[in-house]
Amino acid sequence: MKRRQFLASGAVFAGFLLALPGNLMAEWVAGSFQQVPLTDAFRNALGTDDIVVTDKISITAPTVATDGAAVPVEIASELKGERLYLFVEKNPTPLVFTCTFHGSALPWFSLHIRMKESSTVHAVVWDGLRYHMSSVHVDVLSQAC
Amino acid sequence: MSDNIRMVAREESGMVTAKLVISHPNESGTRKDEQGNLVPANFVRTGTVTLNGSPLMDLQLGPSVSKDPFFQFRFAGKKGDSLKVSFTDSGNMVFAAESVVL
Repeated sequence: MKRRQFLASGAVFAGFLLALPGNLMAEWVAGSFQQVPLTDAFRNALGTDDIVVTDKISITAPTVATDGAAVPVEIASELKGERLYLFVEKNPTPLVFTCTFHGSALPWFSLHIRMKESSTVHAVVWDGLRYHMSSVHVDVLSQAC
Repeated sequence: MSDNIRMVAREESGMVTAKLVISHPNESGTRKDEQGNLVPANFVRTGTVTLNGSPLMDLQLGPSVSKDPFFQFRFAGKKGDSLKVSFTDSGNMVFAAESVVL
């Protein structure tokens, strides 16, 4: 194969690879995951810091976590949630994850997170009209991040 | 690359709870090794879940997710439903798995 042909076929293949993931999977939104204070993290991820405090979202997490490297957190929303966000106020990157629910998915999620130090943990739910938030405090005995 | 994900989904009274673990170092980029050098960031960033071929969830993940990410989620479903997950890390490695609801 000549060099020119090889380059051309490579370019076509690369184009195919670039086109493929875009269709299968949403891009990672880097702007939401910056190392900024919490209020900026809210604005970056939600586009606003106008959030209604509610008791309709429950966060289950240990009051005292012995290991900050893996703190189990469970979020359950009584509000019909379209999107769920989790923030750890004092982590370098406050936004932990966001989840968009489709079809028969229930507004519930559980995962293990890193916590750099004792901090308030905020769960935010978008119900299609507004943002709602509940918060809990977790004391961390050993550091991770 | 499905060896990297272990997933189980169980139905109980119309509600399915799925649990999955991705074997991944999930380096946040802020940790230092024994020599005091920063370990480069390498973590799972996006994920999609489909149920019987239809979208169920889209995930965006940051560096604050623990090593060997462990996720649980729920949906209305039944035994025999087909659940597929696909995750991509910051190095564009793709990790995928599928399982049938038990």
